[in-house]
Amino acid sequence: MNAVFRKLQVSATQQAFVLNQALTTCRATPSIQHPVWASVNERQYKSMPTHGIGRWRHLLPKDPPKKKRDRPQMKEIVVETETTYATLNVNVSGYDMTMVEHFSQHIHNLCNRLGIKVLDCYALQTKTTEVWLMQEQGTKMSVDSFLKTHNRVVQLRSLNATMCPIFLEVLLKNQPEGVQLSVQEHTEVDYKARFKGRPDLEGLKAKIA
Amino acid sequence: MAAPCRRMAGRSLLQFVSSFSRTSVSNSGFRQFSSTSVCRGSNQAQHVEERASSPWTLMAAVCLQRLPVISAESNPIEQQFRDMMIQMELEKSMLSDHELRLLDDAERLRRMQAGEYDSDEEEDRRDQEIVLAQDLEDSWEQKLNNFQPAARVSDSEGDLGSLQRCLSDSLLLLVERPVGMEKLWMLPQTEWQRGETLRETAERALSSLPAASGFKATFLGNTPCGVYKYKLPQAARTESSVGTKVFFFKAVLSDAGAPPATESSQLWVTKSELQRYVKPAYLRKVERFLLGF
Repeated sequence: MNAVFRKLQVSATQQAFVLNQALTTCRATPSIQHPVWASVNERQYKSMPTHGIGRWRHLLPKDPPKKKRDRPQMKEIVVETETTYATLNVNVSGYDMTMVEHFSQHIHNLCNRLGIKVLDCYALQTKTTEVWLMQEQGTKMSVDSFLKTHNRVVQLRSLNATMCPIFLEVLLKNQPEGVQLSVQEHTEVDYKARFKGRPDLEGLKAKIA
Repeated sequence: MAAPCRRMAGRSLLQFVSSFSRTSVSNSGFRQFSSTSVCRGSNQAQHVEERASSPWTLMAAVCLQRLPVISAESNPIEQQFRDMMIQMELEKSMLSDHELRLLDDAERLRRMQAGEYDSDEEEDRRDQEIVLAQDLEDSWEQKLNNFQPAARVSDSEGDLGSLQRCLSDSLLLLVERPVGMEKLWMLPQTEWQRGETLRETAERALSSLPAASGFKATFLGNTPCGVYKYKLPQAARTESSVGTKVFFFKAVLSDAGAPPATESSQLWVTKSELQRYVKPAYLRKVERFLLGF
């Protein structure tokens, strides 16, 4: 009886070995080997025949280790060609934040619908203007109000020359009151203006140089 | 095509810097436009290729529009929805600083009148007692009452030559030109000359208008937005001229300058009034690129 069982087991392992070989010759990707039995000589235990059957992470290609602090890189400025513009910045600014934000969202949605690729959509710093009122009699100035200018930018990738007049006209006709619209080419200076200056670092650099 | 369409696109990408602003203080209701277009160098003259001359005469026309000055009126449904949203947002919102101050002052007044007020408790509040929040609010309300907004509907509604009509719609410039035997209404156009781009032709068409002493327009792009083909009647056709092709360029009015002196050959119309003046075939082509009603 035992001999019969042993023969059966041996034939089974032999079949598995043959199957494995066939698989390795067929596929270029990492062959699916049985997770636990690496070689033929390992004994097959009755318990846990499917141990580790769901493992898949060892099959993925190895990712490069992530750098600890990734400085934000500037996205490449698209070069303009004969039929498309370079990277354009559509700048929406105004005193009323809801209007400005809603209009910039409207522009973004419009671009999505018209098939214009949007590179980036960000907000610039809010500038606060203090309005001082001069009193009629005397020289005392008193604070009247604070006006905050909000700025939102939608960056377009390559605007087609044929699409440009249509797009601009739609924007102009839908421009709400109190909102200023401005379309400019994107430059490195614009990108650098978004970052805070570091006066102490620059002072140290000046000392070294 | 003899016209340097391809070249036009190349010269284009005029790096243009334009900013459009809509402020309440504007000269006669126009938006302030500031646009500087940096020319890409005039390589046109050198690159003009000798092509076989085609039998079509080419013209460029300018579709000059005055954009709406005020926002359009809302439907009754839109009005109702807006009122409901305002009410809902008011009910859901938190109290602002000014409203908290109002409540505080009212509370203090009530306590002072009831006689429980102990002035020693609130030492740091003494400077704020001079101007109550309620007084501030009253002075603001007075300022608002002193402000007189301009009328939405101006007097010159019927005068089709005036720029102040239909402030909530966009107006289109039409001129009357003699074509063949008759005078037709059309968008201002001129013939293309060799060596210039079509957009320059359109700019020339605009500046050559008799009443365009002060028209300042910003062209929206370097590509035409529409085309109209006109074949001459059989009798007038020759070997070298089968008809004309007119390319339309979009422009937006930034300044009208001095109003023309009872110039009857110039009109500002809305899209719906266009069909009264313009021929049907022409209208079909022009309507395609005019946005609006």
